[in-house]
Amino acid sequence: MNDLVVRNNTTEMAVVGKQDFVTVMLDGQILGIPVLAVHDVLNAQQITKIPKAQDWVAGVLNLRGRIVTAIDLRRRLGLPPNEEGEKSMSVVVEHNEEPYSLQIDKVGEVLSLEDQLFEKNPVTLDPRWREVSNGIYRLKDQLLPILDVDRLLAFESNNKAA
Amino acid sequence: MDDLLNEFLTETGEAIDVVDVELVKLEQDPNNKEVLDNIFRLVHTIKGTCGFLGLPRLESVAHASENVLGKFRDGELQVSEGAVTVILESLDRIKEILSGLEATEEEPEGDDSELIGRLDVIAEGGAAEAETAEDEPDTVDGEIIDPTLGRSLKAGEVSLEELEAAFANAPGPEEAASETPAADNSGQNLFERVGGEDTIAVAAHLISQRLGNEDGLSKFFDAAQQDQRKAQFTGLMMALFKDNIDAADNVGRQLVTVSGFGEAQFDAMLKLVKEILVECQVDSDVADEAIMIFELVREAVINASKEVAKPKVNKAGRSAASNEPSGAAKETRRTNQSIRVSVDLLEDLMNMVSELVLTRNQLLQITRNIDNSELGVPLQRLSQCTTELQENVMKTRMQPIGNAWAKLPRIVRDLTVELDKKIELEMIGADTELDRQVLELIKDPLTHMVRNSADHGIETPAERIAAGKPEHGTIELNAFHEGGHIIIEIKDDGRGISADKLSGKILEKGLASEGELADMSEAQIQKFIFHPGFSTAETVTSVSGRGVGMDVVRSNIEKIGGTIDMVSTVGKGSNFAIKIPLTLAIVAGLIVKANEERYAIPQISVLELVRAASKENAGENDHKIEMIKDTPVLRLRNRLLPLVYLNEVLGFNTREEIDARENADDFIIVSQVGAFTFGIVVDQVFDTEEIVVKPVAPILKSLDIYSGNTILGDGSVIMILDPNGIASLANSGVTDNATEDEAEKEHVRRSTVNEKESMLVFRAGQEHQRAVPLSLVARLEEIDVSNVEKSDGRLMVQYRGALMPLVLADKEMTLRTDGRQPVLVFTDRQFTMGLAVDEILDIVEEQLDIKLASDRPGAVGSAIINGKASEVIDVTHYLALAFPDWLGSKDTSDETGFKTDAERILVVDDSDFFRNMLRPILTVAGYQVTTVNSAAAALHLMEEGEMFDLIISDVEMPDMNGFEFAETIRDGSRWENVQLVALSSLSSERDINRGFEAGFDDYVAKFDKQTLLRSLAQQFKIEGDAA
Repeated sequence: MNDLVVRNNTTEMAVVGKQDFVTVMLDGQILGIPVLAVHDVLNAQQITKIPKAQDWVAGVLNLRGRIVTAIDLRRRLGLPPNEEGEKSMSVVVEHNEEPYSLQIDKVGEVLSLEDQLFEKNPVTLDPRWREVSNGIYRLKDQLLPILDVDRLLAFESNNKAA
Repeated sequence: MDDLLNEFLTETGEAIDVVDVELVKLEQDPNNKEVLDNIFRLVHTIKGTCGFLGLPRLESVAHASENVLGKFRDGELQVSEGAVTVILESLDRIKEILSGLEATEEEPEGDDSELIGRLDVIAEGGAAEAETAEDEPDTVDGEIIDPTLGRSLKAGEVSLEELEAAFANAPGPEEAASETPAADNSGQNLFERVGGEDTIAVAAHLISQRLGNEDGLSKFFDAAQQDQRKAQFTGLMMALFKDNIDAADNVGRQLVTVSGFGEAQFDAMLKLVKEILVECQVDSDVADEAIMIFELVREAVINASKEVAKPKVNKAGRSAASNEPSGAAKETRRTNQSIRVSVDLLEDLMNMVSELVLTRNQLLQITRNIDNSELGVPLQRLSQCTTELQENVMKTRMQPIGNAWAKLPRIVRDLTVELDKKIELEMIGADTELDRQVLELIKDPLTHMVRNSADHGIETPAERIAAGKPEHGTIELNAFHEGGHIIIEIKDDGRGISADKLSGKILEKGLASEGELADMSEAQIQKFIFHPGFSTAETVTSVSGRGVGMDVVRSNIEKIGGTIDMVSTVGKGSNFAIKIPLTLAIVAGLIVKANEERYAIPQISVLELVRAASKENAGENDHKIEMIKDTPVLRLRNRLLPLVYLNEVLGFNTREEIDARENADDFIIVSQVGAFTFGIVVDQVFDTEEIVVKPVAPILKSLDIYSGNTILGDGSVIMILDPNGIASLANSGVTDNATEDEAEKEHVRRSTVNEKESMLVFRAGQEHQRAVPLSLVARLEEIDVSNVEKSDGRLMVQYRGALMPLVLADKEMTLRTDGRQPVLVFTDRQFTMGLAVDEILDIVEEQLDIKLASDRPGAVGSAIINGKASEVIDVTHYLALAFPDWLGSKDTSDETGFKTDAERILVVDDSDFFRNMLRPILTVAGYQVTTVNSAAAALHLMEEGEMFDLIISDVEMPDMNGFEFAETIRDGSRWENVQLVALSSLSSERDINRGFEAGFDDYVAKFDKQTLLRSLAQQFKIEGDAA
């Protein structure tokens, strides 16, 4: 990641150069997560459900002695739930020093993308997506929305606003 | 021994040991400023403490050494070997005095003038031209003059003649003997004289061999490790004979790895070493010298052995040391009894132990599934060791809560000056121990609360006098253990928290609307002080009132799994109660199953386990769950226990699904939250496990039903249930006030749970619902109408082998023509009656508030229950209906011997309901009853000259509670000798004891009519006997 020039226009991505993203698949949609935010990628895990929690909390799982809260990303983003029996993978990220596991369908490759491919979210994007996405990269054959992990996991402030 | 002195001895002992080492370092590296500063600081501290404790001999010696060191530090004197030697000598002297001090608690007699003289000579010698460099502005100095010397100890004041005279007069031989090893450093090389490496190798070989055979030593030197021993002795001797003290020390420490190696063993070993050296053609004198050198490692070896026996030393160990009788080997003992360990190390230990416990559990889980495993026995042992280790490590973390209070008297004192108030601080239970991590976390909240009490709570003397209170305000801190928790109470007798004033503030800050406030009880409004951003002080003082007060306190306490509650009465003061767990790390949890998932319930809140058979399989004596309309209850030892289904609480099943299950045996976990006991129905109960509580992620914090989560032995994560939360969830279905702030709601509920009563709501005859306190109901039955017989114009039914009269709850009501009729069974001594009702509606937890009294027979009054007006029935009326002789029976059949001129009883209770309930009960029991609604009213009666034979008082009452009432009466009032019976729903042992302390003669749980009547009879009997 070479930080070359800082543009004045801060509404766009402030850093020019190349960014690395882990791509994940979610209900046929590809999404990007900044590679530096990802701590772990796990196969299907045994997840303990938490009754009465928000529906997008999938449960808790044991990651080498640490208890990690699993977020059902499909529900969080308003996608239909996984089909019965279909296994999901986990991408472990951290927010406020608390580990969270994002449950996704499967993990794709790591892409190194040039900043000029980056674009702001279209205003017509589903507000639920706009809320958690930084913007979109134009790939050759498809678009790659980027997840902002901090905003995705900023529940406390969400709760306050609610 | 005096704690202070003991502490001083430990500390000084440690400091001297450090100085010893550092001085040696300094000698080798005279320009090392850091080392020098360190030494100077330590010696200065020793001197200062000695002065403080009034130990003139010690102080004079320390002062003289400090002088020399000061000159070193200022560069006026070169660090020389000679100077260091003398300083070391003075350190030895200090040690000597210390050991005397430890043995006799007094400074031993002795003359140090010679030593001091020499030190002063050194200081003077270099400082001739730098007389002005008196760099120590020492306040202690002025008054501390060694009486034996009769002069001040400042270096500049000592004349040279005097010194020389002292030098000549007192060259005590013991000084020569106590010459320190460092002083020998300059001596010739022993290594060469012994005979070099070859001799040492041979000697080491022999030593290691013979040690294994020597009686009394062999057990310390395992024969199997002979090679290792040989290497160690070679190393030890090489190091010693080459004057490499540090290395020798190191080797010495490793020499003995078995505990119990003491002075005697060391001496025996030295004897052996000497013999061998002589055998190896070493000159006897040289051998003696070599043995002397061995003395250097004596302490290291013995200490190492002792440390094996005592890997950790805690507070307990220290106090044990202080209790031991003084003996000869005191010095070494002291240093071993107490070592300082860094907190980080303890934390690490704690973490490791936690992990160890988890791993142990994992192993146990695995082997449980293997039959006849060889692992069984060693695992058992491992398990036991782990448990002990855990307990001991826990203990190292326990500290008396007094440590957190230490600052408070000073703070309160300063406040009294600043605020011009008179406040006394009382601290009770300062030696209550709790985990130091918890201690750290509550230190600040406690300080803050005491400040608050002093600032906001206690009034100025003028205000207090005007309010008729003593000029001195009192803040009382009280700490005690209660069932795995520590309760800390902070009580003041100040002005209390005014709900009116708070309401204004609440509105102003927009925390609640006027309408909401109108619906809140005073206690609920007072709880707003825990609301973020709330401050009640009219003026912000420098002490408190910046609006970051109680909410921070609350969140800090909740962070460690504690709760805070408050009772405040305007004009009387406030009482804060903090309940915190003893330790945060490991708790015992009961593992249960609901809907194929496992959950843990903290063992602390589990009272008992009951297994309920399914309806079909239930035998005569089995527990079974019964339904009152939709409310499941369990009969448990003549009480009805409200139940909640965990499956329902967690949203797995609806009630219909649960009811539709077939043949399910249920397990009921009886748990208690405050005074509220209820049962949690689960599918299955596994065993208890030690669980390490980990907090839940922030997004789950809003879920009351969990207190944390944990990783089990098999690696799976499970949630830890919070019975508090479940209780409130179970109640919220009834009260349905979901609009309230979640946290606030829980809080209010926790505080009001005591005041609530379980009411059985039913319908009979007319449309309106009726209610009766559940605790008065002995049983609920459904009786086949065909079994109801008419006899003597009354309805009867055969019940449990006897005839039970059946009374209709309403005149207009008729029995069903077929099927089963719900009946409430009431029992009073030998009388058992059934009250037939049309329909049992519900059981609700409600705060009873009789709005309208009734003059209709059979009704006590009307109250709002479950949101509807309900008629609360008077059970005594129906009992009298069922048994025309019931009323009269009291006079004749009671063996307790009531006389015709009835005893006069005063009932003090703020609840209309209880007054109305008690009056008929007591009247029928043949007493003459007067009721009042407050302690104040009762005292008013006393002033008017009324006299009673016995007083029954409620405990929880506004303004003046039962305890205070009792104390007031017992405190030399006219009613001093009147029998006092407390009536309360608080029936824990502590409450009961408190009741007796306050002066009550008996303590009866509310609604326990039998006991109350028995108690009354007994009290009168006692009185009669005494008269």
